[in-house]
Amino acid sequence: MAGVRIEYQEELETLEASTLGGLDLASAALARTMEAVEHQDVELAEMVVADDDRIDGRYLEVHQSLIALLATQSPVATDLRLISALLHILKNIERMGDQCVNICKVIPMSGHEPPADPEMLKLILAMGGQTRTLIAQAKRSFEDRNVEMARDLVRQDDVVDNLNRECFQLALEIGDDADRREWAMTMLLAGRAIERIGDNAVDIGEQVAFIVTGLFREFEDASRPS
Amino acid sequence: MTPPDAQQTGPAPQAAGGIAPAITGGILPAWGTWAVLAGAAAVAAAALLATGSFTVALMLVLTVPIACAAIYAWSRSVEGPRRAKDRVVTLAIAAAFALAMIPLISLLYEVAKRGIPGLSVEFFTEDSRGKIGGGGAAHAIVGTLVITGVAAAISVPIGIMTAIYMTEYGAGKKLRKALTFFVDVMTGIPSIVAGLFAYALFELFFGPGIRLGVMGSVALAVLMIPIVIRSAEEVLKIVPNHLREAAYALGTPKWKTIVRIVLPTAFAGLVTGVMIAVARIIGETAPLLVTTGVIDSINSDPFNGRMQNLAVYAYSEYRSPGVMKQASYDRAWAAALVLIAIVMILNVVARLVYRRYKTEIR
Amino acid sequence: MFGAASTKRDAEESTSADPAPPAAPAAETAAPAPASEVARGAKTVEAKNVDLFYGDFHAVEEVSIKIQPNRVTALIGSSGCGKTTFLRALNRMHELTPGAYVKGEITLDGEDMYGSKVDPVKVRRLVGMVFQAPNPFPTMSIYENVAAGLSLNSRRMKKSDKDAVVERSLRGAHLWEEVKDRLDKPGTGLSGGQQQRLCIARTIAVEPEVLLMDEPCSALDPVATLAVEDLIAELKHRFTIVIVTHNMQQAARASDTTAFFNLERSGDPGRLVEVGPTEEIFTKPKQKATEDYVSGRFG
Repeated sequence: MAGVRIEYQEELETLEASTLGGLDLASAALARTMEAVEHQDVELAEMVVADDDRIDGRYLEVHQSLIALLATQSPVATDLRLISALLHILKNIERMGDQCVNICKVIPMSGHEPPADPEMLKLILAMGGQTRTLIAQAKRSFEDRNVEMARDLVRQDDVVDNLNRECFQLALEIGDDADRREWAMTMLLAGRAIERIGDNAVDIGEQVAFIVTGLFREFEDASRPS
Repeated sequence: MTPPDAQQTGPAPQAAGGIAPAITGGILPAWGTWAVLAGAAAVAAAALLATGSFTVALMLVLTVPIACAAIYAWSRSVEGPRRAKDRVVTLAIAAAFALAMIPLISLLYEVAKRGIPGLSVEFFTEDSRGKIGGGGAAHAIVGTLVITGVAAAISVPIGIMTAIYMTEYGAGKKLRKALTFFVDVMTGIPSIVAGLFAYALFELFFGPGIRLGVMGSVALAVLMIPIVIRSAEEVLKIVPNHLREAAYALGTPKWKTIVRIVLPTAFAGLVTGVMIAVARIIGETAPLLVTTGVIDSINSDPFNGRMQNLAVYAYSEYRSPGVMKQASYDRAWAAALVLIAIVMILNVVARLVYRRYKTEIR
Repeated sequence: MFGAASTKRDAEESTSADPAPPAAPAAETAAPAPASEVARGAKTVEAKNVDLFYGDFHAVEEVSIKIQPNRVTALIGSSGCGKTTFLRALNRMHELTPGAYVKGEITLDGEDMYGSKVDPVKVRRLVGMVFQAPNPFPTMSIYENVAAGLSLNSRRMKKSDKDAVVERSLRGAHLWEEVKDRLDKPGTGLSGGQQQRLCIARTIAVEPEVLLMDEPCSALDPVATLAVEDLIAELKHRFTIVIVTHNMQQAARASDTTAFFNLERSGDPGRLVEVGPTEEIFTKPKQKATEDYVSGRFG
């Protein structure tokens, strides 16, 4: 029935758009974070930290509206799964924002000299780029409700995981220089944070599968590698 | 239900296990009841002939108990006690109905048989003035219509407005209780009393010996009003309250709600009620005897002198037949027939009006 | 926002010799102003310490509530707690029950509708009501039903004006398309949902300021219910709407403000326990009784 409960339908669509908009915010934050890492830009890093308030604000606002929608519209079936998924995804987005903040907070510690290891830096930046691709794909798969695309996120995330392991190896072999070691440790922290962002993107993919199939499953787990 | 015995005339499928399912059982054939009736009639006739006191009526009377006993026995053996009782009671009720119909049919038959010879063109067009041994009943027919018409014109407004008061305005009030009491009393007034009341009333104003058509109408109105009130009240009560509320909620004053919503909704029922009341009083003879008098010529003015009507006409033709007795008797029967015909026509009209105007109130 | 028509009406009321509010303005006898619904203001209804009685029985106790214009206010609560009684007091239908009376003040845009010089018939023209079971007049066609409010109030109107009002009201009730070809058929020949929309059209045809609805969807199937709810969402732009409902999901979906009525024990008078924005009542109600009721913990 076309004309029925229009306001409710429109509200739901608006909230979905807001949520995905939050994903854009997170992706932009990651881009700026990578830039700050590359150029040791402390000011940019501080801006990212301050901007995280926007992501948190988005989270709280959309969350409240979703709860109100649950209370007043008694959604069922796909609408209910959608709202549940959006609540999860909001959390994922907020976590992504927090991880960017974590990275930005360690940048001033990286010392004043330029980065000692261009290889490691390249890996980190590659991880960042790949993770941004992950986020974009997660967003696409949600908009299109495309489960195949969502499953593919696992494969994409594996790339990030592998890059992280390579980073770890490089860090082990970085040598005795105190400054270089310090820099390598902070890069490892950054890498770990990026890897977490990637996992959050995969979680979003799982929510896509939940909406479409109604089954709440993890794509792949540490205990059950695919 | 107990499973049937060995003699089964109806289907009784046996389950594979050899025990009949509890819901199936024997049933008497469709012609069973008729066969029993015919058989019982035959037995009754035979018994009466044997004792030498055969009449059709006695035979019919005897048939009923014999048939009841027979069908009970047969049904019980085939279908079980419950259905047997059912059949017996059905038969008894049908017999009672037939018994009730007999007088009605007999009456109609007799009146038609004796009245038809009295009908003629003359009957409908001539009055009795100056006609020795002949004449017709035109004056009576006109008189009946006029008197009844005026009576209705008096009773219907009074009756319906009283009913409106009692249902719409008077709920719970003392006046209404008093009115209900008086209406109940009025329904029991003997018709001659109503006639005497009307006579006494007019005598007050016009002196003794006054005879007017309208006096008869007043007498009949006294009899008609309580009937109209009763039936109108019932019909108005049936109009659902939510219709009135809908009108009030639109900002309609009460009187307008009654006139535009309640009365139209109840219209068909009101008309039927009025028709029934008319049919009830149209044949009243006693009150008209003392009020309208007897006259031979057509008089259609209720305010001027005596007026004849069918009921009194039938009475007087029978009581004091003219020179040609049989013709008078014929005319008396014919008058009765015409009265019955008028009542029937009114009833049919009432039904047609009801069907055309009735409102489906879900 | 409420425009010139509203102030004109106020001016007429204050200059009319009869202090009885709200007087039906003289303008009503003329042709109805087209597209006036945007400019017309819906009225605020306020109850102050209202008690309702049926003879000796104290049905509703000390209700004070302000009903906002152009909003939907839902009255919820268990059976027998007085919400319908209170609703019927808002258009002076309560007193139609023999022995029933009202104590306290109920005002329509500030004027007491129970004032000594106020004509209840005029109040009911400004505060319309839609009932639980659809009740189109059985002796009238669809057209006549919609126009009933006008013809019963003996507003003389040219046929063309009347046609316009009927069409506008049926469109307003989302019924025009379905019945425009059979306006002369009896009103009782429609389905339940259509009949209820017909009753709504009939009510809005007289252009009240406030619409009261007593469980308008309880006799309808779910699809018809949603259709009526959509209609209510649209009508609130033109009227102030108060709706009594047993169906909590409906109150949650369809209203802006919710008022919860309750009884302590059976036989006690009903009381207004809590009133607030619907979203709040259903996400974080202030009173425990409200919380228990909306979450279904007691009936």
